[in-house]
Amino acid sequence: MGEAIATYLPTLVRYILVAIGLGIVMYGAFRLQIALGIKREAATGRALVLPWFIGFLIFNVFTIGSSLYLSFTEYNLFRAPEWVGLDNYAQLFDVSAGTLQSRTQRSEDVLAPRHDEVIRIEIGEGGWVFGAANEDFWRSMKLTMTYAFLSVPIGLAASLGVALLLNQHVKGLSFWRVLYYAPAIIPVVSTVLLWRWIFSNSGLINSMFAPAYRVLGVDPPRWFNDPSYALPAFIIISLWGVFGANSVILLAGLKGIPKDLYEAATVDGAGEWAKFRNVTIPMLSPALFYNLVVSTIGALQIFEVAAFIRTPASVGTFLNWLIYTEAFGFRRMGLASAMAWIMLVVIVILTTIIFRSSSAWVFYQGAREGEG
Amino acid sequence: MAAQTAASSYIEDTAPPQGRGYIIKQIAVYALLILGAVIILLPIVWMISTSLKTEDQLFTGTVNLIPNPAVPQNYIDVWDSFSSINPQMTAWRILANTLFITVLAMVGEIFSASIVAYGFARFRWRGRDLLFALMLGTVMIPSIVTRIPSFLVWKQFDLLDTYDPLTVHALFAWGPLYVFLMRQFFLTIPRELEEAALIDGANTVQIYWFIMLPLIRPIMLAIAVLSFQGNWNNFGGALIYLTTPEKFPLALAIRFFDSSLSIEAPQWHYMMALSTMMAAPILLLYFLAQKQFIEGINVGAVKG
Repeated sequence: MGEAIATYLPTLVRYILVAIGLGIVMYGAFRLQIALGIKREAATGRALVLPWFIGFLIFNVFTIGSSLYLSFTEYNLFRAPEWVGLDNYAQLFDVSAGTLQSRTQRSEDVLAPRHDEVIRIEIGEGGWVFGAANEDFWRSMKLTMTYAFLSVPIGLAASLGVALLLNQHVKGLSFWRVLYYAPAIIPVVSTVLLWRWIFSNSGLINSMFAPAYRVLGVDPPRWFNDPSYALPAFIIISLWGVFGANSVILLAGLKGIPKDLYEAATVDGAGEWAKFRNVTIPMLSPALFYNLVVSTIGALQIFEVAAFIRTPASVGTFLNWLIYTEAFGFRRMGLASAMAWIMLVVIVILTTIIFRSSSAWVFYQGAREGEG
Repeated sequence: MAAQTAASSYIEDTAPPQGRGYIIKQIAVYALLILGAVIILLPIVWMISTSLKTEDQLFTGTVNLIPNPAVPQNYIDVWDSFSSINPQMTAWRILANTLFITVLAMVGEIFSASIVAYGFARFRWRGRDLLFALMLGTVMIPSIVTRIPSFLVWKQFDLLDTYDPLTVHALFAWGPLYVFLMRQFFLTIPRELEEAALIDGANTVQIYWFIMLPLIRPIMLAIAVLSFQGNWNNFGGALIYLTTPEKFPLALAIRFFDSSLSIEAPQWHYMMALSTMMAAPILLLYFLAQKQFIEGINVGAVKG
């Protein structure tokens, strides 16, 4: 136990010192502003947000700046970063495409030298192949994007369904709500391991469906070891986790819809579908919007799943994990930073699209301005 | 289909209807609810059941939810297995590490967030709204972008492989969403309370500590449970900063154990015992504090 305490104590001491230091800095900033003739209220407010602001400068402004800088360098932690200009980006965007003459033709034959296949589309007797010099990056990009584009809408629809179900005259609502939210509570490390076991060759799913496989005369799928089953398996995992948080938020949204809107619609002779389409969805759209933004950002950044589940090389892994292994496994900090920046740009573009589109479909009742 | 049945229910809320159609619908609703419950519970039951099985019960190829014989001993044996790889990695040590990180990060996170939120909510100053928007904007930044330079920052301080990046950092209100939640809550507190205290000659620290803190206790509790859960589960941060196995929190220790196993002999009974141990405290907390959990999520979504 002594050794354990020896590892905790220094951190505890620094933790307390930093806390006291922050207090002193805040007080100093307050005094300084007063001395400069700034009003007491403004001086207090600024001093109070200082802990966040200092953290923001160090861990956001500075880190984002250095991350951009590092993406133009080659850096392995041991030698000083070496400026390489756009080399990292050039390497990542070194892509090529080729036309297949026949289905049996190998992808490598139609791509640029040393490029590997990322996407292969076969149509009729021919088709196209898209490849890249850094095929790992594009395969992971493809996996991460398809995962997000499939899991987010399916998850949103599923959680809306659950919320609508819970919004019926259900007895013991709090019991059901607690139950349905439980998967979102379980630590993601536990969840991922559990599903890896469930999807393993002799796991729960294959055991459960063994009779069905026999009747159909098919081999049991090898899930994560099979390029065509890996993505569906990942989506199933995400659906299990998504039941919870999103449904709870949507349920709160449903409960908040004034009843008189439905009564008015009934008086106007609206059918059930019309009421759902014209009352429920618009009134729920802010909650749907919130869920869409949060789920999209979350799906693109999925990390733990890839840390515990290995996929075939042709599938790639999730982008966040790829970046982690490039940076901390292979110590290619520069290349990893370039990948991270591409990911940042993708997330910003997607979020902007969602925000821009929101004025068309998100309905804020009596949209008020001010502090909210 | 669920959508249509839902829309109709609103009318029924005002005047609960009777009749065959209604009963059939209710049966369908409960059938679906129970189906959902099975989908949710089956994996959890499978996890616990596997954690109690002997190795030869694992690969039978049939669905067997009840272990026979049940071996709770797995929960102890798995740690013996651990210490055969690294004698320092005892159950107590790993648990203490996890708690140390979780509690310190949680306390720092809650108090700094409440102070910062107080500054954003109750005082007028130039630049406030811009800074607040910037703070919310940081939610969009993927953690992986800042992770490499943050690693380099802590490396500069010579604090890699310590708990500082996982705990001291929390003192800087690292969770913008928590600040947002608390600010929303502060906005609902009447200003008269502070004004009266000001007239009585109280200073900001006294007002915060004696008036505000007791008032914001409900949201503090809600954030505390979310924060406890978040830090208990934190895997990515620990993975980057900690390298000495005996310093690992549970999440990382599980990965360490996982990577020590060969692919041919995945000891799923042990892995599931570890997963259950990781999940149990959080599930227990959840059942004790479900109100806070649900509240915390809902407050966040009120105005997205």
